[in-house]
Amino acid sequence: MRAYLALLAAGFQRQTSYRLALAAGLTTNAFFGVVRTAVFFALYRERDQVAGLDVADALTYVWILEGLFAVVWAPWFWELAEAIRSGEFVVELLRPRDPYLRLLAFDLGRTLSVLALRTVPTLAVATLVLPLRLPGTVGGLALLGVSMVLAAVVSFQLRFLFGSAAFWTPDYRSLFMLVFPVLWLLSGFVVPVDFFPGPLRALVDWSPLIPLLMAPVRVATAGAGVAVATQVAWVAVLWLAGRLVLATASRRLVVHGG
Amino acid sequence: MAEHLGVYLRLAAASVRATARRPAYLAARTVSAGLIVAIEVAGVLLMLDRFGSIGGWRPAEVVLLFGLAFTAQGLALVFGDTLEADKVSQLVRRGTFDQVLTRPTSPLGWVVASYVDTRFVGRMLAGAATVVWATDRAGVAWTPGRALLAALAVACAAAIIFGVLLVAAGFTFVTVQASEAANVLLYGGQYLASYPMQIYGSALRFVFVWVVPLGLAIYVPALGVLGRQGPPGLPGWLAWLSAPVAAAFLALGGLAWRAGIRHYVGTGS
Repeated sequence: MRAYLALLAAGFQRQTSYRLALAAGLTTNAFFGVVRTAVFFALYRERDQVAGLDVADALTYVWILEGLFAVVWAPWFWELAEAIRSGEFVVELLRPRDPYLRLLAFDLGRTLSVLALRTVPTLAVATLVLPLRLPGTVGGLALLGVSMVLAAVVSFQLRFLFGSAAFWTPDYRSLFMLVFPVLWLLSGFVVPVDFFPGPLRALVDWSPLIPLLMAPVRVATAGAGVAVATQVAWVAVLWLAGRLVLATASRRLVVHGG
Repeated sequence: MAEHLGVYLRLAAASVRATARRPAYLAARTVSAGLIVAIEVAGVLLMLDRFGSIGGWRPAEVVLLFGLAFTAQGLALVFGDTLEADKVSQLVRRGTFDQVLTRPTSPLGWVVASYVDTRFVGRMLAGAATVVWATDRAGVAWTPGRALLAALAVACAAAIIFGVLLVAAGFTFVTVQASEAANVLLYGGQYLASYPMQIYGSALRFVFVWVVPLGLAIYVPALGVLGRQGPPGLPGWLAWLSAPVAAAFLALGGLAWRAGIRHYVGTGS
């Protein structure tokens, strides 16, 4: 346990040291957030509620999205795949303790740094100037925090699976590039999934894309119970999937070079 | 720059041939660059249809703005993708740019021609298809004048986006480290210009009409294409001003690029 905590701390420190990237990231989030806010204010000018969302729900969605953007689509998305292709990944298999947990600990350290330095300040400023619907109690806020950390875990687990494609093909990027736009829409990063037509929405609600963004949004705006339970269930399922992929892949891993 | 046109054309042809050597990869990248447009537009339509209108604009009319903005972005990125901060940063850090400076061509011409990225043709085509679909849905009767306005919007917006890329590249020569900040103008500007300008506050509107004139280049000509009246302060005839304004912005971008090169010191080894 102590080794994993050390990895977590190392990941946190590493991500925290990118000051310039942090400033640029905050600027980007703020800009897109302001534009999306203007869009929703204009949309709700003549309506009170659409598809079960009112303007406060929509604005909460906007700013949680901006806060979680760099957590879900981590800038280091391809590190694992590149390490597999170059052969460096073998070192991971030789190190003591469990490779999946080690990768998770380091990754979570980095995303926790993003949560602390980007997500929290972004949401804090937004809630001061806009009518967001964030939980009013300490317990509610803690649940929102838990939900965001779970989003970070699922994000790692999904990125791990996509990166693992590199075990089987060096063309993993073309594969992902074709899938990415669809994931982008279905995870709710274009518009809230509440605006999808009924059947599509029902389908998406049962997909592992919900824990990434919509679950934390629902924890803040609707009920926490189902949303967090869904996230925990997906962490368990993706955990098994990740382990299975890692076990299969390490048996067939061939390292080129000399 | 013009006297080396033949060289640039050959460099561009070589870079296109090089990417075409992996047809499956190129196809995936091209389809993906277009798919983003389709997905974004589909999502926004799902939302707008629920609301009916935004700022008095019907969904199809808003989608016209998305189409024009994406077409312009695709056109600018076919030539300018390599000016994005992470790629310029790599040129500098690997020392490639030292070699570029020793060549008897203009550095900008060499960099642009050597890294033409045909995948963004996919984005251009998807954007153009969006324009055609949106104008059909909005019931636009095409006239030569309206077609000219649409072409003007794409050309001017592409020039402005290319100018933004030049400024970002000039900046990267100084900082060496790539910065995400340029994305605010590159992708954020496109996103902002995809909605009617009257929904924004006066400060944001002023910046994107007169400072980084993407709103002037896309929104104002779109008013003419749709046969709509602009809000107070943004009359339709301003569209004819977008060409000189875009040219001025592009020239500023060129100056920033040159200033960046003057401060270029390489990274040594």
